[in-house]
Amino acid sequence: MLGFLSARQTGLEDPLRLRRAESTRRVLGLELNKDRDIERIHGSGVNTLDIEPVEARYMLSGGSDGVIVLYDLENSSRQPYYTCKAVCSVGRNHPDVHKYSVETVQWYPHDTGMFTSSSFDKTLKVWDTNTLQTADIFNFEETVYSHHMSPVATKHCLVAVGTRGPKVQLCDLKSGSCSHILQGHRQEILAVSWSPRCEYILATASADSRVKLWDVRRASGCLFTLDQHNGKKSQAVESANTAHNGKVNGLCFTSDGLHLLTVGTDNRMRLWNSSNGENTLVNYGKVCNDSRKALKFTVSNGCSSEFVFVPYGSTIAVYTIYSGEQITMLKGHYKSVDCCVFQSHFQELYSGSRDCNILAWVPSLYEPVPDNDEPTTKSQLNPAFEDAWSSSDEEG
Amino acid sequence: MSRKRHRLVPDSFGLKRRREQGQAEADPLRGESGSARAAVAELVQLFPRGLFEDALPPIALRSQVYSLVPDRTAADRQLKELQEQGEIRIIQLGFDLDAHGIIFTEDYRTRVLKACDGRPYAGAVQKFLASVLPACGDLSFQQDQMTQTFGFRDPEITQLVNAGVLTVRDAGSWWLAVPGAGRFIKYFVKGRQAVLGMVRKAKYKELLLSELLGRRAPAAVRLGLTYHVHDLIGAQLVDCVSTTSGTLLRLPET
Repeated sequence: MLGFLSARQTGLEDPLRLRRAESTRRVLGLELNKDRDIERIHGSGVNTLDIEPVEARYMLSGGSDGVIVLYDLENSSRQPYYTCKAVCSVGRNHPDVHKYSVETVQWYPHDTGMFTSSSFDKTLKVWDTNTLQTADIFNFEETVYSHHMSPVATKHCLVAVGTRGPKVQLCDLKSGSCSHILQGHRQEILAVSWSPRCEYILATASADSRVKLWDVRRASGCLFTLDQHNGKKSQAVESANTAHNGKVNGLCFTSDGLHLLTVGTDNRMRLWNSSNGENTLVNYGKVCNDSRKALKFTVSNGCSSEFVFVPYGSTIAVYTIYSGEQITMLKGHYKSVDCCVFQSHFQELYSGSRDCNILAWVPSLYEPVPDNDEPTTKSQLNPAFEDAWSSSDEEG
Repeated sequence: MSRKRHRLVPDSFGLKRRREQGQAEADPLRGESGSARAAVAELVQLFPRGLFEDALPPIALRSQVYSLVPDRTAADRQLKELQEQGEIRIIQLGFDLDAHGIIFTEDYRTRVLKACDGRPYAGAVQKFLASVLPACGDLSFQQDQMTQTFGFRDPEITQLVNAGVLTVRDAGSWWLAVPGAGRFIKYFVKGRQAVLGMVRKAKYKELLLSELLGRRAPAAVRLGLTYHVHDLIGAQLVDCVSTTSGTLLRLPET
């Protein structure tokens, strides 16, 4: 590391190299930290998490009881022991709360004044953060499994919604109604994701084992369907292209948008080239997937070899994306993990699970060297770890 | 959390100076790390030829190659290269969409010719082996490919299916198959369940590898314990834990 620093100082190497090396080192050191806690508000499983892209300071979480909570992740106290407090929440007694479980929440990509949430009660609600009221409600005929708004869109404000029906609906926030329907899938749409590279490219994953890439400007069907065998493309066989041998549960573009990761209930994860739909055939081994709805996994951002964090039962498995090797399994939750998000400024991972907890995985590098000059202050110690017996030798 | 991840990345990214790894454990199965071709050659030695009276070519499985070559992506790439060079054929074994059998092309050719010797479909099979096999390295064949590119008529394709060289996949597409492989698949599936059962019945559902190999094979295991253990490890049906007394096979919790 000193070599990187001196090379950066003398100008021999690009400053980005040092940043990526240090980010990778920190991601490799992720573990549960006794000093970092998230306040426990949810009374039932946490289904979805999202960190706002502007400052990476506020996090939204949606639970199985319809509750949405907003957390402030920044540690403004001087102490190492810190609980991320909930700033506000949409609880069960809020007039506009979702009736059933909230499946996806997402911040408005450009600022934190607005966020969207979709739920099993067949609605997509657009919320104003400061007043915590719904600004708009979109109603659908079927339960909504997932929605996504493009993080790089400047020319459109479309929200892609995946429901139990086979049609993908695109809702326009400016006009307040559904503007497009994309037809092509045959069963429920479990996950949708816009490309972080091009604002018009959308990927959708469905329970009929297919993943389709769409350009929403095109009037005729999808661009292509991903085929796990990379077979010769002929018209008769086009309908038999499947991305997985089971339902496709989760979709995630890599941070540069050049590759797409998919997970399926056949316990496999696949990496695809997003420009031509080719299966790169990277083999991650068995990635256990029992979830019947969408599995929200995430990729790291800013490391030299990118990592993917996938919920694997009650643990989180960490793999390098392009070589497929498993780095570690993060153990800490008591029940199955449903979602995880990566905060790229500090290389922290937050995960939510069915045991109603949100855990923070923080890079643990070096123990702070105890300074012998200062007296150890009692306030440094977490009150849970203080012992209650007296230190004197006498009885009583 | 395991600390082993630090071994996998270069020193500049490592948190601690990694210690030099000691000698690899003297374990009969796990010490290999070589190319996929060496792995396949070794695995076909394990295949019991006498069981099928030499009528079947020695078949190795892709999951067995994964147990010998730990990096799966590299193993896949090497197998694909071997397939493109025409040295091996990959066959879809019917019981699992993921299980692929690997056979050396030469062995496949000799056995198929021997199996169809003197039968009415010998001509069609020889034409197939001569024209289609070298040209197309895929697992499956399509209708228009067979009729237009290679000039097969429908009765000839029916003869190929009767000979066991092709298996029906879909209307108008066929998998490549090995004649007489049904017995192998039956023994394989039964043997896999039997070896898994041995681990399942153990206390705490874990067995030392050396102990498992030392036990007497149950009657259902006809292909050999080592053959099945390689397959179970590679297919991740058991977890491999390295201990001070050797490798331990444990059933995964899920």
